[in-house]
Amino acid sequence: MNFTDVKWSGAILSVAILLSGAANSSCDFDTDDADGPDFLDKIIQCEKQQDSRNKSAEASRANNSVRVTKLYGDGSLTASGIIERPVAAAGTLSHHANQSFVARQPYSLRPDAKFEESVTIAIQKLHLEMAHYCAKGWDMQRQWTEANSQQQGDFFLHYQFRCTET
Amino acid sequence: MNKLALSVAVAASLGIASHSFADGPIDGTIYGKINVSVVNTDENSSDKWKLNSNASRLGVKGKTKITDGLYAVYKAEFEMCVDDGDCKGQTFTQRNIMGGIRGSFGTVWAGKHDSPTKLAQKKIDLFNDLEGDIKNTFEGENRVSNIIAYTSPTVSGFSGTVAMIPGEGADVDGDGIDDTGLTDGMSYSLSYSKDNLYLALASDKDVDSQDLVRMVMQYQMDNLKLGAMYQQNEDNLGTKDESGYFVSAAYKIDKTTLKAQYGFIEDDVDGDEEETLSLGADYKLSKNTKAYIFYTDNTDSEVDSSDDEDSSFGVGMEHKF
Repeated sequence: MNFTDVKWSGAILSVAILLSGAANSSCDFDTDDADGPDFLDKIIQCEKQQDSRNKSAEASRANNSVRVTKLYGDGSLTASGIIERPVAAAGTLSHHANQSFVARQPYSLRPDAKFEESVTIAIQKLHLEMAHYCAKGWDMQRQWTEANSQQQGDFFLHYQFRCTET
Repeated sequence: MNKLALSVAVAASLGIASHSFADGPIDGTIYGKINVSVVNTDENSSDKWKLNSNASRLGVKGKTKITDGLYAVYKAEFEMCVDDGDCKGQTFTQRNIMGGIRGSFGTVWAGKHDSPTKLAQKKIDLFNDLEGDIKNTFEGENRVSNIIAYTSPTVSGFSGTVAMIPGEGADVDGDGIDDTGLTDGMSYSLSYSKDNLYLALASDKDVDSQDLVRMVMQYQMDNLKLGAMYQQNEDNLGTKDESGYFVSAAYKIDKTTLKAQYGFIEDDVDGDEEETLSLGADYKLSKNTKAYIFYTDNTDSEVDSSDDEDSSFGVGMEHKF
């Protein structure tokens, strides 16, 4: 290997690595377009297309992350404007692959609360709901508690979960 | 060896820097293609088999936003010789390399690049980079060093490019005096593109020792793509004054594209003629990969001399990435 080879190899490698972070883009740019009369337009359009694709992908990801079906209250407002809630017959098991849900159960920390109002029972009920909609399993995404404004010492325990892929 | 280590170290450090740039203002893409063919060439009744690399290449291109509507545009493309790794004694050789500023006013760009006249051909040459490449028959297919160009925005389908090529001390016009001006060589093109029609008029002045005028037409009708070119060129020394034409047709049937092209040029000074005929077919294996076969016959006819005839047939594959 002579010095010229080394110099060119180093230069090409440098440029390749420099752009490697951005080079994973899947643009419809045809290699021969680089030698076409409108090669400047192609470069601009292609990279713009990539920008918009990236934005779409981000929007899609964001969309997916917030598209959660509420299993209580009025249900969830979908993109179509329809309020929906999955329907499954009581006592049956179903599986909504990759769908996310939020379930909630009330519980009480009042001293005079009954055993049926305990957090243990709330968790038990939540697990029954999760098994009801995600019979093949689920990922727990988030859990949180909100105070019940109607009764001091009462709370709602929320579980956000997503059914597994299979 | 120390220099190799240094190159790798520089590359690695740039690589680290690139990760911080990747999400920022630099939008770049690596692209290229591998095009290899096995060819049997018969030159005046003496034949030989060859593996050809056919201008396989690796490039990077992209844009970087400077302000709203203003971009830096760049492209750096290198030929790699897939057949034997020897590109004129080097691992890579330079192809089109340019940088420019693009705005609503158009693009000002510079580098080493195909001239506007060559770009105006718009791939009517269906056997580009193979034995039937029109550069083997026609003048004007030049990649020019030190090119400084302006490309207008496209308005109602019209676009134009004008390029200046400083001589940098070379005698580009053949008058015996070294040329040191900014516009020692010039190349222009004006094109019109709408729907399936493309028209272009291009001209060179003192580029590769030639003055040249070229007209190009391309038209697509469903699966049929037609191309035509007419050209006149003369060299600076007055020893060549050529005119000729070129036609091509490609017809697509499912994954197969049948191709044919023919070109003829005649020198009015000495009556010499050149002719090229190519026939072939591409078979699309995937979006970016094709296999192809071709046959080419190139003939140089000189007055008072026997014809110089080269014929080739080959099979190959091209993969773009």
